[in-house]
Amino acid sequence: MLLCNLNVLMSQNINTITLTIIPIIQNNTVQISHLNKDSVTIETLKFYLTNFTLIKSEKVVWQEMESYHLIDASNSRSLSFKFNLRKNIEFDEIQFLLGTDSITNVSGVLGGALDPTRGMYWAWNSGYINFKLEGKSNSYPFEFHLGGYQSPHQTVQEINLKTTNTSKINITLNLSAFLDQLDLIKTYKIMSPSKDAQRLSRILATLFNILD
Amino acid sequence: MYFPYRPTPVKIKYPESWPKPIYNFDKNPLTQEGIDLGRMLFYDPILSKDSSISCSNCHLSYTAFTHVDHALSHGVNDSIGARNSPALMNLAWHNSFMWDGAVNHLDVQALAPISHPAEMDEDINNIIKKLKGHSTYKESFYKAFQDSTITGEHLLKAISQFELTLISCNSKYDSVMLKTQVFTLQEERGYALFKKDCSSCHAEPFFTNNQIENNGLPIDPILLDLGRYDITKKKTDSLKFKVPTLRNIEFSYPYMHDGRFKSISEVLNHYTNNINLSNTLSNKLKSKIKLTSNQKVDLTAFLLTLSDKNFLFNNNHTFPINLFFNQKKKSNLKNKY
Repeated sequence: MLLCNLNVLMSQNINTITLTIIPIIQNNTVQISHLNKDSVTIETLKFYLTNFTLIKSEKVVWQEMESYHLIDASNSRSLSFKFNLRKNIEFDEIQFLLGTDSITNVSGVLGGALDPTRGMYWAWNSGYINFKLEGKSNSYPFEFHLGGYQSPHQTVQEINLKTTNTSKINITLNLSAFLDQLDLIKTYKIMSPSKDAQRLSRILATLFNILD
Repeated sequence: MYFPYRPTPVKIKYPESWPKPIYNFDKNPLTQEGIDLGRMLFYDPILSKDSSISCSNCHLSYTAFTHVDHALSHGVNDSIGARNSPALMNLAWHNSFMWDGAVNHLDVQALAPISHPAEMDEDINNIIKKLKGHSTYKESFYKAFQDSTITGEHLLKAISQFELTLISCNSKYDSVMLKTQVFTLQEERGYALFKKDCSSCHAEPFFTNNQIENNGLPIDPILLDLGRYDITKKKTDSLKFKVPTLRNIEFSYPYMHDGRFKSISEVLNHYTNNINLSNTLSNKLKSKIKLTSNQKVDLTAFLLTLSDKNFLFNNNHTFPINLFFNQKKKSNLKNKY
């Protein structure tokens, strides 16, 4: 009975949330590798998650300031970050963007996660690479640099996930499901804004899920 | 007690009749220290892979910050690029950069030549590593940004700060507009012709409308440069290039995105005789431009009034010997010998 009450108290006094991104391939957490021993090898996985918002009953209850995170599967520290909130926050939904919004793409050079030295910026056609995935499937290489903010090839995606009111939110990204939806013989390389970049970004947006 | 360094703010000066700059100075306020650092970086070949090419190699101050005598610029290992280097001036009033408008903000423009394999062929992270090995740069970055950890953001913003000071507004034309000088009769006739036939794209006071236009150049069969189409993949953008400024045109030959014209007379001949009709041709060129030989001479005389010696020979634009080499050390040497 005491434990029950403690749990209720904890869920009403969340002032720090730890959010962890878990990229998954073939039912395992993605390990960056160049060894090519499995049927699918991931050599690079980097993407922007931005504009984090918490929602309760369809109303925004909290927004992260300077909300730009570069998730890099080769750097485990980048997979997890904290939100510091006021106390007693309640939410039932989390919203964020896969990629950078258009204003960020026209604001010149920015710092931190958005610094162009992070390898996620196109020098030859101003704008961010929102999602970068490189690797091999059955020894066939693939390179997906998904970006573009101008109409009609915008690639940024809004993602809304229902969640319980908890201090630990874990979000999976199912890359096997992503690769399964592609014909890698036809589409194995995307390096500029295009319809394909947009299509693949839309597919990725459906593959983020809350891990209970 | 430790007092942080306070840099010296600088304001750019331009004619009252000009519109306000487009560049957002709030995000990158000009300081003398930022400008000095940007100038050092502009002239330092350390930005290139083998330390052979600096920005100034293709953007020489005496020739309107462009590369003369070269239709196509060359970079590391004498690699030849696909385009002519544009003249740099009055950049605070531009909202797009490069011949195809591919760069949307001055602060990120330098990334393009830095990373291009035929230009500087370098990675910005590597540049930062190299700069960190020089105490002069660490100190300069600290003075400019109150932060001695050199970042990509600060490196690019410093280069912008120097570039933003490259303002050309003291040509004979500008004096005539201020009524402190008068055109000759020939220049006056040329100016009238200019306003009739050229100013729709080369609009005063910047002598560019900053738009992307197809000016009727037949496509070069080797370069196959489709201009903005290569960026947007929109058929309506085929063969369109950004209108360059005509200021200091006397010194910025050769002309056009691929430097195909060596002289102003070749340019004028193109506009009167050789416009290539295509469905993306600028509607400003739909009616034929007719100029007699005398009129072409008059028009050329007017274009020469856009030369600005204050800009071309400005000591604040040239190689900053005083920033690279400590003057105190120099005077010690003098005493020694």
